[in-house]
Amino acid sequence: MNKKCAAVCIFVLVFLMLPMAYAMNGRDVFEKVQAVRNSKLDQKVDATMMLFDKGGGKRTRTLTMYGKDASPEAYKILIVFNSPADLKGVGFLLHAHTFADRDLWAYFPEYKRIRRIPATSQDDSFFGSDFSYDDLSGPPDLDDYSFKILREEEMIDNKPCYVIEVTPKKPRKYTKYITWVAKNLWIPTKVEYYRDKELYRSGTFKNIRVIDGIPTPFEMEMANFKTRHRTILTIQYINYNTKYPNDLFTQKTLERGAK
Amino acid sequence: MNLWNLIRHITLKHFLLRKTQMFMAAAGICLGVTAIVSIGVVNKSVLYSFEDSFNRVTGKAKLQITGAQSGFPETLVEKVQAVQGVEYAVPVIETDGMLVSGKERSIMILGVDVLVDTQVRDYSLSGDSADVPDPLLFLAKPDSILVTKTMADREGFVLDQKIQVQTVDGIKNLRIRGILNPEGPAKAMGGNMAMMDIYAAQMAFGKNGRIDRIDVSLREGEDLETVRQAIVDALPQGYMVDTPAGRTKQVEEMIARFQKGLDLISYLSIFVGMYLIYNAVSISVVNRRKEIGILRALGCLRRDIILLFLGEILIISVIASGIGVGLGLLAADSLVSAFGKVISEVYVRTSVSGIHFTWFYPLLGLACGIIASLMAAFFPARASSFISPVSAIRSVPYAEEKFFTTKRLNIAGVLSLMFSSVIFAMYKFIGDSPLTKDVTLLIIAQLMVAVGVSFFTPAFLKGFVFVFNRFFASGFGTAGRLAGLSLQKNLIRNSVAVAAVFFGISVFVASVGFTHSIKQSVVKWLDSMIIGDIIVTSGHPGSSANAHIIPMPVEMAEQLKKVPGVKRVAPWRRIFMQYNGRRVLLSAASLARYPGFRNDETHQAANRTSNQKKDRVVVSEPFAAIFKVKKGDVITLPTPAGPVKFDVAGIVIDYSSDAGVIAMDIPTYQRHWNDMLCNSFFLAVHPGANVKEVCAEIQRSFGVERKLYVLSSLEFKEEIHKILDDEFFFNYALNTVTLMIACLGIIVALLASVMERIREIGTLRAIGTLRRQIYGIIILESILMGVAGGILGSVAGIFAGWVSLEGFFSANYGSAAQYHLPWSSIIMILCLSAGLAALSGVIPAQKAAKTNIVEALSYE
Repeated sequence: MNKKCAAVCIFVLVFLMLPMAYAMNGRDVFEKVQAVRNSKLDQKVDATMMLFDKGGGKRTRTLTMYGKDASPEAYKILIVFNSPADLKGVGFLLHAHTFADRDLWAYFPEYKRIRRIPATSQDDSFFGSDFSYDDLSGPPDLDDYSFKILREEEMIDNKPCYVIEVTPKKPRKYTKYITWVAKNLWIPTKVEYYRDKELYRSGTFKNIRVIDGIPTPFEMEMANFKTRHRTILTIQYINYNTKYPNDLFTQKTLERGAK
Repeated sequence: MNLWNLIRHITLKHFLLRKTQMFMAAAGICLGVTAIVSIGVVNKSVLYSFEDSFNRVTGKAKLQITGAQSGFPETLVEKVQAVQGVEYAVPVIETDGMLVSGKERSIMILGVDVLVDTQVRDYSLSGDSADVPDPLLFLAKPDSILVTKTMADREGFVLDQKIQVQTVDGIKNLRIRGILNPEGPAKAMGGNMAMMDIYAAQMAFGKNGRIDRIDVSLREGEDLETVRQAIVDALPQGYMVDTPAGRTKQVEEMIARFQKGLDLISYLSIFVGMYLIYNAVSISVVNRRKEIGILRALGCLRRDIILLFLGEILIISVIASGIGVGLGLLAADSLVSAFGKVISEVYVRTSVSGIHFTWFYPLLGLACGIIASLMAAFFPARASSFISPVSAIRSVPYAEEKFFTTKRLNIAGVLSLMFSSVIFAMYKFIGDSPLTKDVTLLIIAQLMVAVGVSFFTPAFLKGFVFVFNRFFASGFGTAGRLAGLSLQKNLIRNSVAVAAVFFGISVFVASVGFTHSIKQSVVKWLDSMIIGDIIVTSGHPGSSANAHIIPMPVEMAEQLKKVPGVKRVAPWRRIFMQYNGRRVLLSAASLARYPGFRNDETHQAANRTSNQKKDRVVVSEPFAAIFKVKKGDVITLPTPAGPVKFDVAGIVIDYSSDAGVIAMDIPTYQRHWNDMLCNSFFLAVHPGANVKEVCAEIQRSFGVERKLYVLSSLEFKEEIHKILDDEFFFNYALNTVTLMIACLGIIVALLASVMERIREIGTLRAIGTLRRQIYGIIILESILMGVAGGILGSVAGIFAGWVSLEGFFSANYGSAAQYHLPWSSIIMILCLSAGLAALSGVIPAQKAAKTNIVEALSYE
């Protein structure tokens, strides 16, 4: 009897613990997200950036973004503005030696000189838009953050999402952000940035299509509640697995406008 | 006896009886307090404004690295960034621009690396602190400029508007790509500033590859001094690595000399006021001897008598000082902008819009007014307590009391002058001692000269009356003889009045002599320095702080030579640089401008060709005094390429900057500093060429591409004279205050002196003297006392002014200035003294002439 009883108890216990064994924590979710982001490091994107100011004014610019998986280092990114004419040739180059250690440069053709952007400016506005340099860079080092799942089932655009609170371990311009990660797609569909308890910036990632097996949002919108300014980045064309050579991601290429 | 009762029944009665005398004594203190409060508040406000602006542009920087005004290589930023403990090293260009569009005015241009600068300064191009519609366009276009909202509102600027700004390369069109809200750096200089990206600023202001400053923030937990020393070690010699507070202190020290001079005069004015009080109380004691005798006979203690007089003065001084504080604040409010302008032009750019109120100066003024009055009143009040009741009631004349014997006074005079001489000798021969750094000692020395000479007043008056009686009295008939006799008879009493006249005049003459001598010395120096017929500058011609001058490329000399009539063009470059931790002026032109180097062109030529010889410089007297440099020494100057040794070929007079001047030939400067800019051009025209026409032709040729000031040497000198007048404006204002106090002194002293002689006048009338004759006697006596005081005061004033110039000016500025007698001011003050004395005699003379003989004889 005692043996039977013990066997039943063990069975019940194992049965009860089974879902826990399969449940994900925040870090697990983000490792999935990281895997997706890593898969699209080699890319070329043509995009339109529309900036809306608080008075309703709108400015449009187009840009091309090149990315490369730079193993054994992390990745490299080159962004060049194509229009308007005033900004043609303005560029941005990023070398991520590791996911935590990055060098950033900017180039302005009329000055004919390359300028270094301090790594600590990662949360600053990317060339006057509402995206930050970090938003348009590659994946981060997950060890620099702590993750906490707030809710497991919340629908965004009819997609069930994990709601995860991400807190940086090192001082950043935000104290935390909350992101909605689409289950199964493992990409964020929404993000909210907080300074202490104040929500100051929020982004949405829409029109998600799967390109070469990689889920890709074709429309990204970021709004800044302090400046009442918002930016919409719309992808016109995207190509993964491009495998560009290293010499595309040099300061010389930056000066030449990626030519 | 209750002190309050004494004050109520006696003091108030006297106040009412001697309203004019009391009013004028109070007015003296009131004006003195006004001077102290206004100068103190204005000084504080200017410093506060500078500190505030400085802190706003400093942001979170804990250290600042500066070099010569010509800038230093931007590559040093990397070196500093690499120093252990440095969090951020951000480059800054801080320069001047001249708005050509709209109202022409000089503005501060702050060039910062917008991509990095937010790490050190709190502002954002896309946040609440700025309205910059397209930050990327701002960064991408070199013509981008951000102006403050204050400036935009004032000038009527709007977003995207093109504005014309005078730069090194001439007039440039810049586009306003954003408006900075009045917070953080945008509030500096009262909003009179604009911001550019550092590389745009480099392009616009001819500083390619150069920066003016590096602002450094430190990693958390790093020791400031350790990091500072590490940066010093990492940089070539000659760079100043200091905390923002240290840099503010440097400026404070620089301005302090100018402010000290004003403080000196403002404190002198309160001392003149003190003498008025002293005089008023002395006369009051004389007048009220009988009353004092009665009070003493009734059992009043000596202490009560002293307290009675001091109580009276306390009431007067509290009221007068209170009014003085109010007037001082009003005066400060109306003077502060003008003062800020002078500081901006002569020392460092600042923008003062209003006074910065602190309680310190009003309280200081109040305390000075009250304490000075009580101190001034104490001696005569104490003397009153020694009046014997019997002699007072018997109306024994004042002179017989032997309060002041001539012998005692002469001894006191000699001691005072000896004391003053010792202090003067300290200033003259050990000018660097900590004691002489403080202006108080010099004020004491000056006062002791005046006080010392004043002790000789009875002796002087005796001689003066003797000369008058012997040579002039008969010329005035009976009135002359009687006036002379009267002065002689009441020598001590009249000496008090003469001394009061003397004191005000001596302070005025000392102050005017000091100001006049410095101005004359500077004018004389300028006349010898300005060579050529025409001066071309791109900013305010007299600005020594370069706050309003945009340098020009030296190649412009070639274009200027092509203007018909121009024979020779000589550029002149002036920059401020750090030398041994202090800011000094480097003046590069031709050493042949200095006397003693005029026929020395050969050495100049040798300098250019020989690398064996060290280049040479001359240094100004203040520089030599500050850095203990003498002719033949070798000094090492920091150049952008590293330290370079220079021979000191001579010590010269150069008043360009009281911080010290190093002068060298311009080719030497260009070779070492690699700076091909200049502040001015001196042009010589061909014989027979019309200077006016050449000036007009230069304006026609260059007027479109750059804003120029083209002046004949005569016009240039006139401009400099105007600047000097502006600089001395406050001295003139304070001189006027001391003059007003001196005039009050003359009126108070003589009015009281005549009023107390009503009984004597009655006697004269009783023995048959005509009213007309009485009138003549009194007015003549007044004039004689006024003239005696005036002569003595002028002599003492000349001596005190000379002491001040030789002591204070030499010790503080290290510069020699020749004493110039302020003849016109002395003649004016003598005439004024005689005139006011005559005027002071008119009312009492009228009163005396109309006096009822019986009443007058019964007057006590």
